[in-house]
Amino acid sequence: MLNSAHFAVTVISKDRPGIVADTAEVLYRLGCNLEDSSCTMLGGDFAMILTVSHPKPFTKSRLVDEFKRLHDDKGLVAHVRTLGEEELQHQAPPGELCLISVYGADRPGIVYRVTRELAGLQVTIADLNTRVAGTKGDPVYVMMLEAYVPVGKSIGDIDELLSVLRTELQVEIGVRAITPVSL
Amino acid sequence: MPSRTILQYPNPLLKVVCTPVGVISPEIGELINDLLDTMREGPGSVGVAAPQIGVPLRLCVVDVSRSKLGRDNNHGALVLINPVIVAAEGRGTMREGCMSIPDYTGDVERATCITLAYTNENGELREIPVEGFEAVAIQHELDHLDGILFLDRISSVKTGLFRRKNYR
Repeated sequence: MLNSAHFAVTVISKDRPGIVADTAEVLYRLGCNLEDSSCTMLGGDFAMILTVSHPKPFTKSRLVDEFKRLHDDKGLVAHVRTLGEEELQHQAPPGELCLISVYGADRPGIVYRVTRELAGLQVTIADLNTRVAGTKGDPVYVMMLEAYVPVGKSIGDIDELLSVLRTELQVEIGVRAITPVSL
Repeated sequence: MPSRTILQYPNPLLKVVCTPVGVISPEIGELINDLLDTMREGPGSVGVAAPQIGVPLRLCVVDVSRSKLGRDNNHGALVLINPVIVAAEGRGTMREGCMSIPDYTGDVERATCITLAYTNENGELREIPVEGFEAVAIQHELDHLDGILFLDRISSVKTGLFRRKNYR
């Protein structure tokens, strides 16, 4: 049994100024700590993914009740999930980090085909974002992802694996090493 | 000479504009040796600035010759006393981390080629052209002498604020 409480919280709302402040205020008043987070505009919405902790045992229902109030007052939609002890012991996977860029005329299946190939090679995706760019008449699909190449495989292996998709999907695919440096 | 402990933010010494080194006294000689030892003992470390070991003087050491990115193009172990960048050109981005801010990396844009003027450990004035990873490492260490951390230079939130991945 943990002496502290940890939750994964997602919040999504029609975009407007103050969504982060409203969410952070709820957490602050409850004595919760906002830990790692990733928040971004998605179309006309704003989406937040947060990990939240409380230094003492704390029930999920208290968080859920507060977010319910925020939903009724301000229209934010939140979801809360309790994190288990094993989920807190996270470490970045071993292996080389790379950036994979995929873009081309929009068509169904780009994300599916690319990520299925990567999953087959046990590549771990660390970050991914996609956007439909270009014009209405000529939409261009852009996907950028950062991923860990499993130990024993090289960035060249990933590039070769994805090369089949260049012709099949008619997209440009680039695979580049990121190589973080400690200074 | 002992390897010294690397100070970590929020230690206030990391945000201080450092004082120029005057005479290269025996104490400065000892400080240089401590910096070199600290750099060599840090895992994957390619540079240490004096304020990182608690001494607010304009002095740092850089050696990228043992790193994958710098081994083919470097000046070996450099002792940089009162270093100044006198010319800079080109812009490139690297994902940087810092021993004074563990568990975090971010994309930082810096000059790709610099001309560096400095005094070496023998008190001789030098001016050298530096490029590639060595130029990035030197700019990162020189920032420490002005109390600037890489967090002050992150170039893009969208791609720059990923949580720390493993260093190489």
